[in-house]
Amino acid sequence: MPLLDVKNLTLEIDTGTEFVKALDKVSITVEKGEIRALVGESGSGKSLIVRAIIGAVPDHWIITADRLTWKGQNLLAMSNEQRRMIMRREIAVVFQDPTSSLDPSATLKEQLEESIPAELLDKGRFWQRAKQRKDIAIGLMHKVGIKDHQSCMQRYPHEIASDIAQKFMIAMALVSEPELLIADDPTRSMESTTKNQILRLLGGLNESKGLGILFVSHDLLAISSMAHTMTVLYCGQTIESGKVKHLHRRPLHHYTKALLDSAPSFQVNLPPKSHLVALEGTIPTLQHLPIGCRLGPRCPKARKECVKVPEERFIQQHAYSCHFPLHLPSAARSHTQNTNNIGTSTKEYFSTDRLYKSDNSDSENSNITSQKTEGNEQ
Amino acid sequence: MINLLARYVNLVVLTIAALILISFSLPYLFPGDVLTNMSGIVPESEAQRAALEGVYKLNSSVFVQFWYYLNTLFSGNWGVSFSSQESLFDAVSIAFPATIELITYALLISVVVGIPLGFIGGIWHHKPFDFGVVTFSVVSYSFPVFWLALIFITIFSLQLGLLPLSGRVNLLYDVPHHSGFIIVDILVADIPHKADALYDALQHLILPTLSIAFVTTAIFVRFTRRSIMDVMEKGYIDAAKSRGFTTKQIFFKHGLRNALLPILPLMAMQISTLITNAMVVETIFSWPGIGNWLIQAIYQRDYPAIRIGMLVVSVFVVTLTFTIEFLSRAIDPARDKFERATI
Repeated sequence: MPLLDVKNLTLEIDTGTEFVKALDKVSITVEKGEIRALVGESGSGKSLIVRAIIGAVPDHWIITADRLTWKGQNLLAMSNEQRRMIMRREIAVVFQDPTSSLDPSATLKEQLEESIPAELLDKGRFWQRAKQRKDIAIGLMHKVGIKDHQSCMQRYPHEIASDIAQKFMIAMALVSEPELLIADDPTRSMESTTKNQILRLLGGLNESKGLGILFVSHDLLAISSMAHTMTVLYCGQTIESGKVKHLHRRPLHHYTKALLDSAPSFQVNLPPKSHLVALEGTIPTLQHLPIGCRLGPRCPKARKECVKVPEERFIQQHAYSCHFPLHLPSAARSHTQNTNNIGTSTKEYFSTDRLYKSDNSDSENSNITSQKTEGNEQ
Repeated sequence: MINLLARYVNLVVLTIAALILISFSLPYLFPGDVLTNMSGIVPESEAQRAALEGVYKLNSSVFVQFWYYLNTLFSGNWGVSFSSQESLFDAVSIAFPATIELITYALLISVVVGIPLGFIGGIWHHKPFDFGVVTFSVVSYSFPVFWLALIFITIFSLQLGLLPLSGRVNLLYDVPHHSGFIIVDILVADIPHKADALYDALQHLILPTLSIAFVTTAIFVRFTRRSIMDVMEKGYIDAAKSRGFTTKQIFFKHGLRNALLPILPLMAMQISTLITNAMVVETIFSWPGIGNWLIQAIYQRDYPAIRIGMLVVSVFVVTLTFTIEFLSRAIDPARDKFERATI
């Protein structure tokens, strides 16, 4: 059973005159010990997904979902108290902007020690608890790579640099020993050295503790070096998800392809001074959402079928939502003729089997690519 | 911290110096004889005039006069009142504590009532209780103070006859002047029927205090409500929620302190309003405070009294305002610090 399972999550927000679907049937799962990347442009609703999962949305927004479960428990149906306990011990969140996520009027020590759940203070009498709290706090700060804990502990959030603040936020998130860490663009507006430190820290935690991570970012480079699986979001719709390797080798959705092409580091044989590929136009605003597939107006292969929202289809673990996917000409044609035929999807499965076999055979090649990207990054 | 304190002390001293300079120039600007405006004594003969001019150094240069004015000011020799020929220093030291007493109680009521109401309204905003709070604050904010005081008198003194109409304490009780604060004076005085006197003084206090507190409470409610609403939308509150803290924990550990910090400087700004309202209310209730005294002085064109009264009230307002400002800066760790200088 996946740790976090979100299926067809729809979030309608009130724009004053009407309700707009800011998230439209978003599906995402995080397995135990998995790093799931959630990528998309700014404004595609990445942070809204995070807020919907942790329950930090205003009361008058409407959340509907086929499934929004944590280890099989329905998050939407449970009481506030139950949900609070899950957030307290099992899910931790690191937000975008570390300095605004820290209370400006309390020292870092107070805030970190406050986050330590009382259950963790097991040894000694109550007068020894303060010392134990302090020890736990110092241990955590060392773990996230803040060596100079003395000078940090007594400071206020505005007195520390944002990368230290972000490490500190991660320390606060780890204090309750969670099973899932939701990292909402933790490396935003950081320079690459600091960014690498944070990413290495998260990667290390995943390997050593089996911490599941939902890593939200628009930074493809950061994600490709770390994540196992990836979900691509465009304008509030999940359009493709699967293993990072598969998405890189053979993106099925036009947007994923455009996204990967726009990052020069992923193109192995990019000639000098060549044009970078990008889709025309910009991401639509909430007031002017297109119907059907929201990529429609920008998609190079859009046809009249695209005014209908494409259903999510699977090829093994690789999910996509497109009427005319790349690399699958035969499957696409059969879909347009007969959308609801179950037989077609089995046919599709077999017809693409070959495609994935070849993918596995040149996995060596893809390793080289990923090494290269890492090299570029450092 | 020392630096900050030095800056504020500097500011207070300079402001008071400017006020003294203005009050020094007033007798020259008021109509009439400069000597009379200054001393409060109308000279009856040329000899007396010459003597007074000698005392006030009117025949010397302006700088000598100012130096002499400073000396008299700090030695408490403030001249006499035009109309009553009483020492102004004595008059002010009787009247001013009465005003301070009144506004202290009014401020206390406003803080005790206004801030919790504002918090509750802000936490449950757009709920029935909040609508009640907002309605109350708008209504009481819109009341003119003098009218409210008259309404109170009409209802509670004249129609219901529950509370006394005017004054500080019934003349039956002869409370010796000690600190100037009537409650303190009664408590320390050695008089018969002490409990009755205290009860009587409290009855006298109720209406004037309430009239002043009404508007101030409304202001505090609005400030607090707005402040807590802003704070509860901040990122760190969301972060605290995501860490699974209880609502109580979030409110008391993160909401309350951050919401109270911006209220303090706003309170400092309300002090002048408070004093103005106190003056009006004192006049209506014949409360023997500085406001009542000053307004009487204005009626009687008592220039020496006006000059000293204005100086005393403004020094009080300035000192109090800057003190609260200083406190609010001293306890707020994040205010006006250099954000870029981080480790």
